[in-house]
Amino acid sequence: MTDHENSSIRHNDHLLLDQPLLRLPNELLRKNFRAAHFAIEKDTSTLKTLLKDSATSAISGRASQQDVLKNLDAMISRMRGVKRKLGAYAEEEGRLHTQTAARIQHLDELYTMHSIEDVKYEAWSRKRLDRLLADYLLRHGYNNSAKELASEKNMENLVDVDTFVSMSQIREALLNGSVTEALAWCTENKKELRKMEVPNLYSHSQSKLEFMLRLQQYVELIRTQSQPKLVEAIAHAKKYLMPYWGTYPKEVKQACGLLAIPPDSSYGIYSDLYKNSRWNELADLFTTTHNSLLSLPSVPLLHVALSSGLSALKTPACHSSHDADVYSDTGSSSALGHGVCPICSTELNDLARNVPYAHHTKSHVEHDLFLLPNGRVYGKERLDDYSRKSGLSPDEVKDPVTGQTYPVDLLKKVFIT
Amino acid sequence: MAGSNDDIVSPFGPLQNELARMRGANLTAAIQDVDKIIEHLVAARERIAAADADHHRISMEMTRLQNPVKERLEAINNDLRDVTKAQRSFGKALDKALPQRELPMGTDAMADHPSLINRAIAMHLVREGQFSVASTFVRESRDHQPPLSLEPWSPRTARTDEDGDDDMLQGDGEEEGLTGHGVSNYPEDLQGQFAEMYSLLSELRNRNLGPAIKWARQNNSRLESAGSNLEFELCKLQFVWLFKGPGINGLPDDERNGERGALRYAQEHFARFQSRHLKEIQRLCGAIAFAPNIEQSPYRHIFQIDSAFEDVAASFTREFCSLLGLSAESPLYVAVTAGSIALPRLIKYNKNTKEKKTEWTTENELAFETPLPPSMIYHSIFVCPVSKEQTTEQNPAMMLPCGHVICRESLHNMAKGSRYKCPYCPTEGHLRDAIKITL
Repeated sequence: MTDHENSSIRHNDHLLLDQPLLRLPNELLRKNFRAAHFAIEKDTSTLKTLLKDSATSAISGRASQQDVLKNLDAMISRMRGVKRKLGAYAEEEGRLHTQTAARIQHLDELYTMHSIEDVKYEAWSRKRLDRLLADYLLRHGYNNSAKELASEKNMENLVDVDTFVSMSQIREALLNGSVTEALAWCTENKKELRKMEVPNLYSHSQSKLEFMLRLQQYVELIRTQSQPKLVEAIAHAKKYLMPYWGTYPKEVKQACGLLAIPPDSSYGIYSDLYKNSRWNELADLFTTTHNSLLSLPSVPLLHVALSSGLSALKTPACHSSHDADVYSDTGSSSALGHGVCPICSTELNDLARNVPYAHHTKSHVEHDLFLLPNGRVYGKERLDDYSRKSGLSPDEVKDPVTGQTYPVDLLKKVFIT
Repeated sequence: MAGSNDDIVSPFGPLQNELARMRGANLTAAIQDVDKIIEHLVAARERIAAADADHHRISMEMTRLQNPVKERLEAINNDLRDVTKAQRSFGKALDKALPQRELPMGTDAMADHPSLINRAIAMHLVREGQFSVASTFVRESRDHQPPLSLEPWSPRTARTDEDGDDDMLQGDGEEEGLTGHGVSNYPEDLQGQFAEMYSLLSELRNRNLGPAIKWARQNNSRLESAGSNLEFELCKLQFVWLFKGPGINGLPDDERNGERGALRYAQEHFARFQSRHLKEIQRLCGAIAFAPNIEQSPYRHIFQIDSAFEDVAASFTREFCSLLGLSAESPLYVAVTAGSIALPRLIKYNKNTKEKKTEWTTENELAFETPLPPSMIYHSIFVCPVSKEQTTEQNPAMMLPCGHVICRESLHNMAKGSRYKCPYCPTEGHLRDAIKITL
């Protein structure tokens, strides 16, 4: 029947949540390579000129032996510098390669299973849950928990601790009122940020982050209201804000106007600029920018999985007003014999209140239903089983939920069409 | 997508090849070339230092240095080009193996409830026995200030069972709310409970039933009212285990072991089960008579206990959790697994309704079916055969005297005055004869 179909794994669809698992190391590899390339480019072009110049000056006889040796020493130390830097990049590259290999292998494992009921699938799916949990923990800055979980579960290669730890450091810095770290990050990723499309948030084809950081620096200078700082603010605006005149004319004009408005007055947009909550907005803007630059989903994947999963599992009975309370002692054990329903279980019950319940076009009930005089319906097998376990005589049955006992001949057959 | 059963070839094969290639073309080649440049430079430096201010030789050396260095620089460029190439084709293979598909990020129904999620995670970690991670997490979430002041959530009044002793979640979040998403209500009790569960389970795995039996006896009344025979099942297994004798169970060979030990155990403990399990007790004791050749006796299946300890451990876990009002399987695990199964449908639905701007989270019921494997269906679900709607509290299932069931709304829609005709058989009847049933 269709039951079997529902249990089979649709592999390609099943890996929807796992895209970032391979995307992120790939982005990091590219980033790492770009940085390495940049370092080589810079130093080798210096080397070239240096080499050429010192050769010409040696040939023309303008340079003494000492000069030539000095030049050569400079070249050697520069190349040793390159080697050192490259070594670090190569190490990072190796780490990312290993990570990628481990991840591909993990995803590949899924293809050895065909059914959700497969024991191996459970192990795989648990691993995925651990990954999603670690992702959630990291995104919320619970870094130690994430690290501990990763090492307990032996899945360091499947979890992006480093990326998120450095992200949360920058984020924390912003929340503590420091833009330095975020600006350094912007410089590091200058080229990519310029190319980046953030169509959902702003209509510009360039990240707004750096501008917002510079604007905040400016606001902080004016906030002091001390003469030298105000002068500094003007210089800052000339240097860092004016270049954005074309892109963000409104914001730049407001920034100029801000000079006239002290922090304690309340003029709509200007007092908004002084708000401390702008730091939170900056931190969020940074997070969004960071995540989209590394093709990370904007929302923790756990949220995506949960909201879809809670809905799929939820039934109207899970939050019914009486059932759970009256019979909570029995743990509202499910009729279909799979133990307590996860949505009824304490962990998720409140969370599931906010999602719609699943849509069903077919009834799912026990086989061979019978009605008890109290209006409750059970499968024959379950009734018999329970009554036998309760030590009743064969001509009596006991309601597994309410505990009422009835003679068998009061049962009525129920037909479910 | 349907019927894709046949082509379940992993798309990761080609990706692995590309990875191998990428691992071959890496930055170490460039490092080696840099090394060679350094060698050239160092060698040239030595020769020039030895040249005794001989301008001719110095300029010769410098000229000779140009070409090899240039060559090496060229080589570095080639090395880098190889790396880019390998990376690019890996990227292409990745796009092919894992085509980028948009996830439903638009409405995050979970974002407003960080404390509920945190609580669920803490409980999950505890129930999985990850006590140390759990306590780190609780500490971190407590110290962690929320980045944005999200609206406080109203705590649900903790559910206490009839004994009133199950207050592990009481006071849940009442003091927090505005201050953070900390799991301030950390169910310390729960950790104790699960620590107990895991210690009992490990005893069970070591074939030591004693502690589990003791637990089952203490909680006997609640177990029985939930329809569980756990205590008897455990005692029965203990009997069989003793019966097997020291050769198999490895317990000391004395009067408390072997057939005599089993009999003695039965005398001491089975009396209390007599009213409920008389028959089974009779069978167990009857088996003793066949002790010498149990394999040939009709009782042999009682003594096949290959998986008995695993089975009893599973039912022990289930009962233990159910007494705590918790499901046996971590709900977080089930929900996330169900989520990944249901996700493709959600994405498809989102795609098709994007223009309409209707958000799937706003309705009471999902607008599309999310088929789950049978093991993930927990409640009876009745879909009215007339209206095709699921029954709810407001619209319950009604059984007509002929035994057919439809939902109340359908019944009332069909009725003429106070009479109806069953849509599935020729009987007719009065509305008041239909009974509300609970499935």
